[in-house]
Amino acid sequence: MGGGLIGCATAWRLAREGAKVTVLDSGDFGMGASGQNAGSLHFQLERRFLENGDALAEQATRTAALNRLAISDWSSLEADLATNLHITMNGGLMVAETAEECALLELKIARENAEGLRTRMIDGHEARQIAPYLSEAICAAGYSPDEGHADARLVTHAIAIAADKTGALLRPRCRVQSIRRVCREYVVRTAAEQFAASQILIACGAWTAHVAAMLNLHVPLFPVGLLMNATERVAQVVPHLVQHVGRRLSMKQTHSGNLLIGGGWPSRMALDAEGRFTLYRPPAVIEASLRGNLRVAIDVAPMVATINLVRSWTGITAISADQLPIVGEIPAMPGCWVAGGGSAFTLGPTFARLIAQSMSGTKCEELEIVAPSRFAHLNSFMGQ
Amino acid sequence: MTDHYDVAIVGGGPAGQAAALTLDDLKLKTVVIDEQPQAGGQILRQPPQSFRIPGWMEDRTYAPLVELLRRFEARTSIHWIGSHSVIGLRREPDGLFALTICSPDGLRSITAARVLIAAGCQDLAVPLPGWTLPGVYSAGGMQALLKAQRIVPGEQIVLAGTHPLQLLIAAQLVEAGGGVAAVLFSQPHGTMLKAGIRNSLRAFDRLSTAFPAVRALATLRKHGVKVLYNAPIQAICGTDRVAAVQHSGGEIACDAVGLCYGFVSQSSLPRMMSAKMRRAGPAGGWATLCDEWMQSSIQGLYVAGETTGVAGANAALASGNIAGFGIGAELGAISRDEAARRVARHRANRRSLLRFARLLDEIADPRPFFPALRDDTLVCRCEDVAFAQIGPVLDGRSANAVKLVTRCGMGLCQGRNCEPTLLRLLDNPNDPGFTARFPARPVPISDLAT
Ligand SMILES: Cc1cc2nc3c(=O)[nH]c(=O)nc-3n(C[C@H](O)[C@H](O)[C@H](O)COP(=O)(O)OP(=O)(O)OC[C@H]3O[C@@H](n4cnc5c(N)ncnc54)[C@H](O)[C@@H]3O)c2cc1C
Ligand SMILES: Cc1cc2nc3c(=O)[nH]c(=O)nc-3n(C[C@H](O)[C@H](O)[C@H](O)COP(=O)(O)OP(=O)(O)OC[C@H]3O[C@@H](n4cnc5c(N)ncnc54)[C@H](O)[C@@H]3O)c2cc1C
Repeated sequence: MGGGLIGCATAWRLAREGAKVTVLDSGDFGMGASGQNAGSLHFQLERRFLENGDALAEQATRTAALNRLAISDWSSLEADLATNLHITMNGGLMVAETAEECALLELKIARENAEGLRTRMIDGHEARQIAPYLSEAICAAGYSPDEGHADARLVTHAIAIAADKTGALLRPRCRVQSIRRVCREYVVRTAAEQFAASQILIACGAWTAHVAAMLNLHVPLFPVGLLMNATERVAQVVPHLVQHVGRRLSMKQTHSGNLLIGGGWPSRMALDAEGRFTLYRPPAVIEASLRGNLRVAIDVAPMVATINLVRSWTGITAISADQLPIVGEIPAMPGCWVAGGGSAFTLGPTFARLIAQSMSGTKCEELEIVAPSRFAHLNSFMGQ
Repeated sequence: MTDHYDVAIVGGGPAGQAAALTLDDLKLKTVVIDEQPQAGGQILRQPPQSFRIPGWMEDRTYAPLVELLRRFEARTSIHWIGSHSVIGLRREPDGLFALTICSPDGLRSITAARVLIAAGCQDLAVPLPGWTLPGVYSAGGMQALLKAQRIVPGEQIVLAGTHPLQLLIAAQLVEAGGGVAAVLFSQPHGTMLKAGIRNSLRAFDRLSTAFPAVRALATLRKHGVKVLYNAPIQAICGTDRVAAVQHSGGEIACDAVGLCYGFVSQSSLPRMMSAKMRRAGPAGGWATLCDEWMQSSIQGLYVAGETTGVAGANAALASGNIAGFGIGAELGAISRDEAARRVARHRANRRSLLRFARLLDEIADPRPFFPALRDDTLVCRCEDVAFAQIGPVLDGRSANAVKLVTRCGMGLCQGRNCEPTLLRLLDNPNDPGFTARFPARPVPISDLAT
């Protein structure tokens, strides 16, 4: 359930192993977060894990094993799919402007190195040698040679085509309306059809909690409205992924030449008639977010100032109660899998591969850190 | 600092002017924002003040509109912000509307209790082989050059399409000294006559005053300009610029082409607000739905003129008046009953003009005559997306989904030009089209950053 990157890639992997798979999406495939995201492939510890204390940073560091797998999954994806997805892994810089930020970078890099990631600290001078577009104000950067980006417009689309060719049944515009567990099977209904399956995966992004509710289950994934900005197309100048350790920024240049500027700035989610968040209307741009985001971009790369903004878009992604992704089988409901939360573009192909492997019966230790069992207490009075 | 108004009006055409005058009469603090330097809108696009043009818009058809414009310009209590584009519109949590407006001098924000969008319409862009060659214009683009700058874009101009307005534009071009090689109508001559007769002679009379096609024909005859019917164009030829057009009956040499298949409403701002829209007339595009006071589905957001569906200048004027009184009544500046009395004649007038507009839509219906696309014909000219890239993904998916994988609609124009073509190719009456995004016009990043 859910034809985003995770759903499509899991189906592709499973179908390759000979499983009989169906993917259902309420809309067109890849039009949720998987088609709205920034396309960053970031393997350095995310800024959001650093701004909330040591415990979270410690925990997040333990997902480094997943990052290592993601690096190799992205490196082979184009070859596996035999298509060009504009994947570039030319390196990424997480920049710092102040002494405090430099100190934060050092701590972060030490954690990463301990987990076997190849990040290294470089000074401002070296950063500008690698990335001449960076401002003089940049005093240091964490440099990861593996980071980069991929064209989010194309990735899910290409994987869906591959899944289709491999024999998976793809059903766009078929919203899941109910799920029932009958003996050891699940019966999933859409408006016109029903499907019986021995195992199901809920990969509905920000809608995951709604869909899990159909089984009387809680999955603590919350919708988050984010902002992205695209400039007009310009000559290629930024071959890297650029992030900031102390301020919200992600910046890269697409194959077509647009600079994409984001980094986790909020947008305002729409409310329905009852005053609850609705996922069915795009969130509104918050002017302060827009202005703040573009300011960081100019501070980091001054050449951005003269370029035209052509589009700001808002998208909805999912974040879990503890910020780490939720991926795995739900203890209270054998055969029911869930995957979502966090930076599941970067980690999506890896989650998909590991879920497919687990569903086929081979346990994956790498998923333990993100297993839904850590929220089992929420479902102690739920289920059926 | 943010300036605050009772009412902000986007667009200084007849609809915006009429509404502003009404609101100003009702003592409401009103601002009119337009990206053109001077008021007038599409119909009375004004030349720069330093130009002296004898007989500008002297034709009696324009008299009521010119009179409205002069009254509007003389009214100093209405705040006029020219040369500024409204690039964003949103509702703040406190209920006020916030408009982001930009100009070459930078960005500013204004807030308003009510907003009226009277943003007019633009030519329907029609792709066909050769349409991106230098020298190909929309007919309205040619007219804009002529009205605003007295520029005639060619000496051997061909106008082609289905909309009778091309007769008027051709006549204006020859009167200004341009050379028109031919005016090509895709439809047979009979279509025009039949539609006229079916809707009685009265409607036809209306046609010749509000829309002086008959007089234009006389002008063209006088200048020996060929007007061909049943001659749909198929391709525009040339190597590095336009050299000829091919139509069903042969080829005509030319140095400029104006395409004229109809007009589509500007809809980016109402759609940015998620106002309810409807598919507009046969030419395509989106009209904003509104109630009898011109209020859209969003409380406090009003629409007038071509934003509500293309119906011409006089209907725009009438709807601007209605919107003015509607907003005035909502803000308590006039009683609802009194407002209703004052708008009665504008409503009656608008109703009959809308009937006339439907007749014109019927005559000008481009649907049977859209030129066939070749594989290499660009559908989205901002992003160079050819028909061959779009064909394979026309499998029932939405316009947004096609946009995502092909880039069709991702360019500088925000999809204004290619969206009608794509929706036609998709042929799904329930497709809501591209999601409208900020900014309505491109804007330098330095203007936006804090
Ligand atoms: C603006 C933005 C920027 C981001 N930037 C990055 C980044 O740079 N790097 C990164 O790693 N991650 C990024 N993310 C996060 C990333 O995009 C998501 O984590 C990832 O795409 C999630 O994929 P998914 O398949 O789980 O969900 P989605 O792509 O959201 O797919 C869920 C699907 O479920 C479908 N669905 C919902 N309800 C139902 C139902 N009842 N029945 C059937 N189908 C249903 C939806 O239609 C949707 O297609 C960003 C997210 C956003 C919004
Ligand atoms: C080329 C052309 C020729 C036409 N010829 C005729 C004709 O001969 N007879 C006839 O009856 N009708 C004609 N029309 C239709 C014409 O649109 C209307 O007659 C009349 O101008 C409509 O008035 P309006 O107030 O609705 O819009 P307009 O007169 O179009 O006024 C809208 C104004 O809004 C401004 N605007 C739009 N968006 C923004 C923004 N985001 N920010 C700031 N300003 C904005 C525009 O600059 C424009 O000045 C023509 C239309 C076109 C396009």
